[in-house]
Amino acid sequence: MKDHLFTMTPEVPGLPPEMRERMQEELRRNFLRMKHFSEMVMTPKEPEVGPTPREEIYRKNKSRLWRYASRRTAGAPLLFVPNLGISRPYIFDLMPGGSFIEYMTRQGFDFYLVDWGVFGPEDNGLTVEDAVTKILPRMAKKALESSGASEMSVLGYCMGAPLSACFLATHPEFPLKNYIDMAGPFDFAHVGLFGTWLDPRFFDVDRYVDTLGSIPADMVKLGFKLLKPTMDLSTNLNLWWNLWNPEYVSGFNALNKWANEYLPFPGEFFRHWVKDFYQGNKLIKGELVMAGRTVRLETISCPVLAVGAKEDNIAPPNCVKPLVQVVSSRDREYVELPGGHISLIAGRGASVHCWPKVAGWLASRS
Amino acid sequence: MAENPSQQLFDLWKKQAEDAGQAWLKMLGQQGQPVDPQAFWRPFMDQGMAAWSKVMTQGSASPDLMAQWKQFIDQWIAAWAKVLEQAMSTEAFAQAMGKQLESFLSVAAPAKKAAEQQIESALSALGVPSRGQVVAVASQIVQLEEKIEGLEDRLDTILKRLNELSSAVRAERV
Repeated sequence: MKDHLFTMTPEVPGLPPEMRERMQEELRRNFLRMKHFSEMVMTPKEPEVGPTPREEIYRKNKSRLWRYASRRTAGAPLLFVPNLGISRPYIFDLMPGGSFIEYMTRQGFDFYLVDWGVFGPEDNGLTVEDAVTKILPRMAKKALESSGASEMSVLGYCMGAPLSACFLATHPEFPLKNYIDMAGPFDFAHVGLFGTWLDPRFFDVDRYVDTLGSIPADMVKLGFKLLKPTMDLSTNLNLWWNLWNPEYVSGFNALNKWANEYLPFPGEFFRHWVKDFYQGNKLIKGELVMAGRTVRLETISCPVLAVGAKEDNIAPPNCVKPLVQVVSSRDREYVELPGGHISLIAGRGASVHCWPKVAGWLASRS
Repeated sequence: MAENPSQQLFDLWKKQAEDAGQAWLKMLGQQGQPVDPQAFWRPFMDQGMAAWSKVMTQGSASPDLMAQWKQFIDQWIAAWAKVLEQAMSTEAFAQAMGKQLESFLSVAAPAKKAAEQQIESALSALGVPSRGQVVAVASQIVQLEEKIEGLEDRLDTILKRLNELSSAVRAERV
């Protein structure tokens, strides 16, 4: 029936054969669109995410340290520090063939992921200082012990970059081999829309936190959706357009699952994050103090790579680049790659541009 | 008698919708002028209709037409996104959003408190632990975990020093 349907294009006088073939192909695609749409609606399948095998090395409250083993051919292991809250970390290990973690382990890097976890109301007292001076040092220590290595490279993504940089700058005794900042903001004077919306003249963070206690996941979602209000429209339009392609559909299902799972922020963490970073811009100015130690980014002297995304509206390139200007490393590089904040590290483009660049840079220095 | 929180929320929503409309017009420099609903949308409509006319004059429906239509919609969405981004990057928008948030918090605080009190009373009557009590227990567990880790760190430091001492003693004997 299906084949007969696709050859049913009528004999139209004057219709060129190639046009007839293309109309048949379009008819086939429309049939597949209806088929896949009905499957998505009637028999939705939970997408399988996080395919790369891992083991839990350490647990502290809600946070976990995961190890993704490799053949260890690339040298120093890698500690990956993502954003705290906001979204789940399985975006970095989304699906087979579409996983940054899978790629790096195949390149021979032992990969350690800091999974901050999902914080509850009992964690509303957690501060940025706690994350930097209590959680991260333990995670780094456990990762080093587990790997048996004498040195470790660190990669911070998004908020994880300034957090990990604060940890490394206040703990110079940590045997840091290389440091990578991927789409992590350092100069919050150029942070774009969030910087404008969180301006202290318009946003009273104290009142916000004192009233709500924590920042609910729905509020976090609203904030990020507002950055690109037309995103949902274009996403659904592209879905309809590519609905005939089963690979696209499985990729969409996985990414859509992640894009709708937002996480809450602990209240005190959000307060300090907004006040010290977005409003005060203390990190790049050298005014940030953590557990009595001033955070001086110039104490980072290992090779540093900063990766900005050209279409990033969460951490625009101008707020990522300043890192390489303040560290005291001789070997420092800034690159700007195609993509947005998420597509820099997850997606088809990432596997072409970002992953090989990061792996190659690390491999030559490990 | 205290105001009904539901009525307060509805009034807030209604005021927010009105304020949002005024703020939008103010951002576009139309405050004080007669409202012209077409003023904002006319450039998009003109552009869209011109592109649509061009597409329709190209001939009968074909797969190419579908691709062109998709491209046209993509460009239209991109244009909307750009205009919206420009509007949202203004201080006026940030100010309006901040005011809306403050209004929300003004109503949310007493509503949240009232709801929490009612739930706590109900749970207490049923003999079930309240959220606050569960959170308090969880916080204590977090603090205990922190203390245990502190003890672990001290033990590690002591063991490290003992190892250093014994290495130094062995080195002296040799």
